[in-house]
Amino acid sequence: MPSTEPQSDRRPAAAPSLMMSGRRQRWTRWKERLGRSLLFLVASVSTLAVVFIVYYIAREAFPFFRTGHVGEFFASTRWYPSREPPEFGVLAILVGSGLVTLGAIVVAVPLGLAASICLSDVLPFGLRQVVKPVIEILAAIPSVAYGFFALVVLAPLLQERGGHLLSIAAWMVGAPVVALAAVVLGDLAAGRLRGRRTAARAIVTLALLAAGGAAVWLLARRVGGVAIDSGTNALNVSIVLGIMALPTVVSVSEDALQAVGRELREGSYACGATRAETLLRVVLPAASSGLMAAVILGIMRAIGETMVVWMASGNAAQIPRPWFNALLPVRTLTATIAGDMGEADQVTGSTRYSVLFAMALVLLVISLFMNTASEVAVRRTRRKLRA
Amino acid sequence: MELRTRHLLDRSFSAVGLLSIAAMALSLLVLILPIAVRGARAFAFRGTAEWRRMQLELFGRGDADAVRAEQRRAAAAKQPVVDAWAAFERELEGRPDAERRRLQAAARSLRPALAELLGPLPGEAEPALPRNRYGQTRWDRALVKWQAVKFRTEWDYSDPAAGGKKVLVPRARDFRGTALEPAFDHLERHLAEILRPRWTFYGRFLTDVAKDAHFFGGIGPEVLGTLYLTLGAMLFAVPIGVLSAIYLVEYAGENMVISGLRTFISTLAGVPSIVFGLFGLAFFLNTLRVSPSKSVLAGSLTLALLILPTVIRASEEALLAVPRTYKEAALALGSGRWATIVKVILPAALPGILTGIVISMGRAAGETAPIIFTAAVSVGLPLTPAQTLTEPTPALPWNIYNLCTEHEAVDEIRHVQYGMVFTLVALVLLLNLAAIGFRARIARNLRG
Repeated sequence: MPSTEPQSDRRPAAAPSLMMSGRRQRWTRWKERLGRSLLFLVASVSTLAVVFIVYYIAREAFPFFRTGHVGEFFASTRWYPSREPPEFGVLAILVGSGLVTLGAIVVAVPLGLAASICLSDVLPFGLRQVVKPVIEILAAIPSVAYGFFALVVLAPLLQERGGHLLSIAAWMVGAPVVALAAVVLGDLAAGRLRGRRTAARAIVTLALLAAGGAAVWLLARRVGGVAIDSGTNALNVSIVLGIMALPTVVSVSEDALQAVGRELREGSYACGATRAETLLRVVLPAASSGLMAAVILGIMRAIGETMVVWMASGNAAQIPRPWFNALLPVRTLTATIAGDMGEADQVTGSTRYSVLFAMALVLLVISLFMNTASEVAVRRTRRKLRA
Repeated sequence: MELRTRHLLDRSFSAVGLLSIAAMALSLLVLILPIAVRGARAFAFRGTAEWRRMQLELFGRGDADAVRAEQRRAAAAKQPVVDAWAAFERELEGRPDAERRRLQAAARSLRPALAELLGPLPGEAEPALPRNRYGQTRWDRALVKWQAVKFRTEWDYSDPAAGGKKVLVPRARDFRGTALEPAFDHLERHLAEILRPRWTFYGRFLTDVAKDAHFFGGIGPEVLGTLYLTLGAMLFAVPIGVLSAIYLVEYAGENMVISGLRTFISTLAGVPSIVFGLFGLAFFLNTLRVSPSKSVLAGSLTLALLILPTVIRASEEALLAVPRTYKEAALALGSGRWATIVKVILPAALPGILTGIVISMGRAAGETAPIIFTAAVSVGLPLTPAQTLTEPTPALPWNIYNLCTEHEAVDEIRHVQYGMVFTLVALVLLLNLAAIGFRARIARNLRG
């Protein structure tokens, strides 16, 4: 909110006029106007930058669209830019970008939403002040440090005891989910059965616990036996990108949850809802478009990231089979641009050079689109909460 | 649903939140801990006698007499191994052909391993590369190399289901019955006397030039390059960012043009960093030609655009946080609008603006993708300030990438890689801690 209103605009110019000659007054006004337009020029540097970025990326990408390779760009998975004749199929690379972004979202969104709910509604003020710097530090660590971690620490770990880690993860996620589901379903079943409720609940709960436990155990055994050929793969990158996107998701969605305000929450408590019910049924729906913006910004962070994917994704231009097999190496748009430009730069203007700009253009269009989407989402929240 | 179940659900809901915060803190710990622990070993480690010789010969540091005396003592401790080798070569002549060939082959594979551990044996020509001129300079590496001397690796393919299995064969068994056999025992017992490890603090790691592709020396040019790039980016981004924020907060009203400006600022913040890199290449280098090749100047300009939205937003927030009463009081006293901004509002907003600047400095220091095509090279000397206008520079983020993916001996220089990551992360975290401190002070001032 700018703090000046039209009235206060005129005040400083009008007040001195009591003591000034007409000429000086005019000079003052000119000076003011000049300063104002200079400031406007400076403020429009960001706008110019965006326009120039779009223009120059598109201009350098343009020669590629005049070659005969446009057709294979989106249709072919064969990326052989230095072969004779060259092939510029980007489909596998696009899928790679999409896959690691999806993986990052799978990691970042549940964790980030849960953490932001906890930050805004569960933790006492003092603890919140302790947790906030943790998020800030996670956001501040340079991407190349994350990439280094992924390549030098995480990749060997996954390669040597990946199955072990996967089965631990399966237990850590599966056990609480099964326990909770068993208790809730037991309760619901007991509600249906009317008579002998306690006994019915105990039986149903125990049966579900046993079945769920067996399922988790089987799953953990299954993934425990998986051998990971290369530690630099989509899973590795997804985990690290997810951690990188966490701070964005947490801080944006926390803002959205805070914006919902006390009245709605207190109304819900007054109706006898517990905190979880209040959050799930009242606060989350009210904050939904803000949360959407958080997810979109998280996606943008993951899709535009270069160093982590370049260092730790394995850089193999292939569509994994089946497509969700995250244990295989992939290649992404950003990593391809970063990796190939070094060689293509010597032949500025060649197809190899312009195809990389075409890929950058794709990235740019995606990010502009997502940015607009998140802006719209944020604006909608504001309007909804004001109404 | 029963009340008890509802409460249970409520509690597990909170538990999920707490667990995810714990997971976040844990991942920070898992990330920072190896970097801090192993990175610190680039600065403080057990240096061997070879380390002190290398420092004397490559950097002219240390007491020449003391180093020579230590070398004499080390040579005396090494002598039995040298003698054993000579005796082994003499007795080779007398062996039957088949056995001689076997022993010669074993010796050929042992000799480079031994030279890596202890340095060239007497009678060998002085190697051209510094890395071959010295034995292991760090005790931790020496222990690894000692394993390579003690054992040779064989692959066992007898079980086709398991593929090749690694088997370590003691080399002493290859040389059983020869004059060389006791040398292994001697090395096992007296390695510390030969290499003489001693705790060493290598603070000049931060300023030293690298020798022989980072095998020796420090990361001086990289640190300096990062500082140049960061300061250069701030030089462009801070004036533009702060003035933009002043315009947006103090001058602009609410109209289409202004909301357009704001949209573009958030759009700029969302542009992927690699696209900034390509733009820097296409615009600053290929179109404006600010310098004949990649340069610190082009990199700084690119980074400046990248951090501009951060600077604008932080400054805007700081300006908005200044109480309206300050401004109204100044205007009521007859101060002009610009004078009010410069003399009243800016000083009050300064700590907040500084916080934003410091945070975006951290961002500029750590960004890699924008400088790949505009400023960074893998190998280079420290630049003088004047050279920054035309010359590219090594920089920490780029060289971290470079050393851990493209270096010829990635495993040999892990300590340098960790040292670089540690330095970069420490730099960024210090900047952020400063920002957190600033913010705490602002909060106190506003309350008090």
